[in-house]
Amino acid sequence: MSSTVTRTRLAVAAATAGIVVLAGCSSSGSSDKASASSCEPAKGKVTLQYWNTVPGMDKVVDLWNKQHPNVQVEIKNISNDQYGILGNALKANKAPDLAQVGYDELPNLRTQSAFVDASACKAATAAKSKFVPWTWSQTSFGGTGVFAIPQDTGPMALYVRSDLFKKYNVAVPTTWDEYATAAEKLHKADPNLDITFFDPNNAEWFNGLLWQNDAKMYGYSGDKWQVSVDSAQSKQVADYWQKLISEKVVRTDLAHGSTQMYAAYQKDQIATYVGAAWGYSMFRDNLPKQAGKWTIVPMPTWGANGSSGDWGGSTVAFMKGSRHLYESVEFNTWLNSDPDALALENKLGGLYPAATAGLDLPALQQGVPYYDNEKIFDVFADASKKIDTSFAWGPTQKTVNLALQDAMAKAAAGSGTLTDALATAQAAALKSMKDQAIPATAGK
Amino acid sequence: MTDLATRSAGVRTTPGGRRRPNGGGPRAATVAAFVTPFFLPFLLFYLVPVGYALWQSFRVVRRSGGQYGTSYTTFGGFEQYGQVLQNTEFWSSIGRIGLFGIVQVPVMLFVALIIALLLDTPLLRAKGFFRIVAFMPYAVPGVIAAIMWSYLYSPQLSPVVDLLNGIGLHPDFLGPGAVLWSAANVSTWLWTGYNMLIMFSALQSIPQELYEAAKIDGASNWAIAWRIKVPIIAPSIVLTTVFSIIGTLQLYAEPAVLRQISSNISSTFTPNMLAYTVASGNNYQQAAAISVVIAVITFVLSFGFMRLTSKKAGL
Amino acid sequence: MSNPTTTRESRVSRTAAMGLMLLLAVYFLLPVYFLVVASTKPQGDLAATNGLVFSHFSLFENLRTLFTRSDGIFGRWALNTVLYAVLGAAVGTLISALCGYALAKFTFRGREFLFSVILGGVLVPTTALALPLFLLFSATGLVNTYFAVFLPSIVSPFGVYLARIFANASVPQELIESARLDGAGEFRIFFSVGFRLMTPALVTIFLFQFVAIWNNFFLPMVMLQKESLFPITLGLYEWNGQTARAPLLQESIITGSLVSILPVIVVFILLQRFWRTGLAAGSLK
Repeated sequence: MSSTVTRTRLAVAAATAGIVVLAGCSSSGSSDKASASSCEPAKGKVTLQYWNTVPGMDKVVDLWNKQHPNVQVEIKNISNDQYGILGNALKANKAPDLAQVGYDELPNLRTQSAFVDASACKAATAAKSKFVPWTWSQTSFGGTGVFAIPQDTGPMALYVRSDLFKKYNVAVPTTWDEYATAAEKLHKADPNLDITFFDPNNAEWFNGLLWQNDAKMYGYSGDKWQVSVDSAQSKQVADYWQKLISEKVVRTDLAHGSTQMYAAYQKDQIATYVGAAWGYSMFRDNLPKQAGKWTIVPMPTWGANGSSGDWGGSTVAFMKGSRHLYESVEFNTWLNSDPDALALENKLGGLYPAATAGLDLPALQQGVPYYDNEKIFDVFADASKKIDTSFAWGPTQKTVNLALQDAMAKAAAGSGTLTDALATAQAAALKSMKDQAIPATAGK
Repeated sequence: MTDLATRSAGVRTTPGGRRRPNGGGPRAATVAAFVTPFFLPFLLFYLVPVGYALWQSFRVVRRSGGQYGTSYTTFGGFEQYGQVLQNTEFWSSIGRIGLFGIVQVPVMLFVALIIALLLDTPLLRAKGFFRIVAFMPYAVPGVIAAIMWSYLYSPQLSPVVDLLNGIGLHPDFLGPGAVLWSAANVSTWLWTGYNMLIMFSALQSIPQELYEAAKIDGASNWAIAWRIKVPIIAPSIVLTTVFSIIGTLQLYAEPAVLRQISSNISSTFTPNMLAYTVASGNNYQQAAAISVVIAVITFVLSFGFMRLTSKKAGL
Repeated sequence: MSNPTTTRESRVSRTAAMGLMLLLAVYFLLPVYFLVVASTKPQGDLAATNGLVFSHFSLFENLRTLFTRSDGIFGRWALNTVLYAVLGAAVGTLISALCGYALAKFTFRGREFLFSVILGGVLVPTTALALPLFLLFSATGLVNTYFAVFLPSIVSPFGVYLARIFANASVPQELIESARLDGAGEFRIFFSVGFRLMTPALVTIFLFQFVAIWNNFFLPMVMLQKESLFPITLGLYEWNGQTARAPLLQESIITGSLVSILPVIVVFILLQRFWRTGLAAGSLK
């Protein structure tokens, strides 16, 4: 989902968010009650505010409002500058009860004291079993509370132009080693053909690859954040892609989702796409002429490690200042685990559910015409169960992502390597946390 | 009113405005009525934010308690400035923009000067047309200009790239080495006509008699242009240079648009982009310090340039 | 043209000059020409056909798409742009004129100091002001409103600078004195004498400020989140960033760019002489 927003705009959005939140801190000295707030049902009618960026969410909320006359939900679409608007509202103490927040933005907002812990509500803690494990691990910050309910995810898989693989008689890879071999073969067969593209300005995507290799970027022990963005697992991924880049068997000049990217696919210049579940509609809608040529298979694996990665997805967070925690929990759990709600969200908003029940939705059981009527969602459902649950994001993730991107762009342009880029990101993580007075040290 | 101005502005300008004896002008209330409608918004939307940025730049974030904790800000002296000056990204963005300015500004002003001089000679026909054509880009906002040019740079869409490919050239306008100059080209395209018009206006206001004599002596158009006209309009050239320096240091919109299609424009490409990237990491105080440093550099460069040229030319 | 002695040197020069200017003209016109061609094409032809050659003509189709997209948001942006840039420049010109006139024609204590403070404002990078302004405005609830962009836009130190020069140059002190003798108040004198004499100059100030607001992308970007408040530039920038998920936007970005710059180009060309007087006055001081 994150790909809808431009990076620059995102940066400014985040800038505004950051400014607002900090300004709020300097003036009012906000406080983060880590202890759970009380959870009493309200007497009488309640109205909840819920801000989100999902197309068609109004229909889902209509469904709830019809069934629950005493808990009415009002929604606002903030897809344009999501974090800017949120930050603004937090500063003015006008945050909604519930708001959509990406997984990687959760720790940052928590350090800005944006959330309330809903764990006093039994329904909130009980919801744990309803969600894909890694998602709950992130919204509960490793089981220390309930700050958000998972909404959707982006389990990763490999999109393959099976016709091109067939044409050049190359086997569809199942491991990253095979993938590298396939890359060489395809490029040799047709010098204008590359196996994929590496977008240096897409740290979110690269993080998904690191996640797949069980890289642990952040931990917390000894009263300090342990930062290991450049761990051995991360370096393995970086070295791998660096090799493909150096051998010029992957393109580095295409931005993810750009017209140029689609044009390259259109011209049969790229044979695969390492993508997430939500990407299936991108190809369907932008490359209609290639219907039937695409298939989706599991991500290539690192040797015997069968893990997958996640790229994108969101949660619905309990925002500080919510007056109706009990009702917020009711609505939030319904919104993200009720089969009717999930079906609508999938149909109208293209969400790939974080709830385990959602993976069994009828819509996700059927063959998809564009992909030759294959049941592509089986691949994603399977991937979604194989995602490392202990992975955690950092409290200055956005800054680290930007630093990583800048350094990866340099590597792609031939100065430095992706491993250098990891070192740069590691340094940026430590520095940005120091700037925010967050105690941190380089992890083992 | 005046007292207010003195107090709030004392930070930024060298004090010591020359006093004049209160002549036979209108009453103070009348003066205030003329000046206030401008000065009040100027105070609120120019001076106060400048003061606020200064104040912010001396603060640092502190935090209490636990893994996530609670943040607050406190006085930190020159800590943010120290960090800015030690930040290699900051110096590379300054270096990048310096290189940009050293090349782009002279090239642009030279082209502008040539056009202005040509329009002021009898050598050209259809002068009105050329003047309009050169000036027209000034009507285009930077964002739209950058969007237009990004289509002409894009390898998949550009007719220019197609054309050059056709003759065996394979330019990569968005490549790591070229993208700075692609951005420079957008600025040049946008501002050449504007600078040209400043110079041209200055040329037009030179009395013809000044070079009638030279013409009679048989001086060529070139000689007249370089020996007589250019020295006379030197103040305009200085002015356009100063404006160009200010503009270069503020560069944001054009590279931001190009960044949408090229990963070779980093998030810290220009000093302004760096400031906003730093702010996006919740580090507003440091972003403020960066803005202050940029403003100081702008001041030093533009004043310095004016000083230098006015001394040299005795203007 | 009036030179009667057509020497060989000047014939060569003529050809060289013409050649150079033609080349430069191509450079200046190229992107606009591309825009014109591209805005007449259907989306599918953008990448598929040569960008400098017309193909299937679907300008009207494109225009309809542009103005109906997202409930006609583009029309709204156009209206906003007019409000910010035209109204903002008009108000800004008036207050600049009042202030510049006072600085030129009245003697009062601290006059030169006030002027140098305002002149210092010319050198303040406006982008450096946007973030602190945002913080201040969010404290007062002005963020994400028309005023958040409009109010800072009316302030133009450069306008005051020009107004002072113009007032000095075009309003004779004797006229003011004689009006005073007739018993007219200062405002009356300003509007009946000063304003009238300064009118061409005021058009220039207006144009400068219009361009400054029309060009200022950063302030609205920081201040506004509601799409319905956007000026055209910010709206197109947003669309440009969304082409990833919605490539069909491309045609609207191109058509929208053309639609928004054409009227400004036309107005600029019509008002050309005001630029020249303004620039001459501004640069010779």
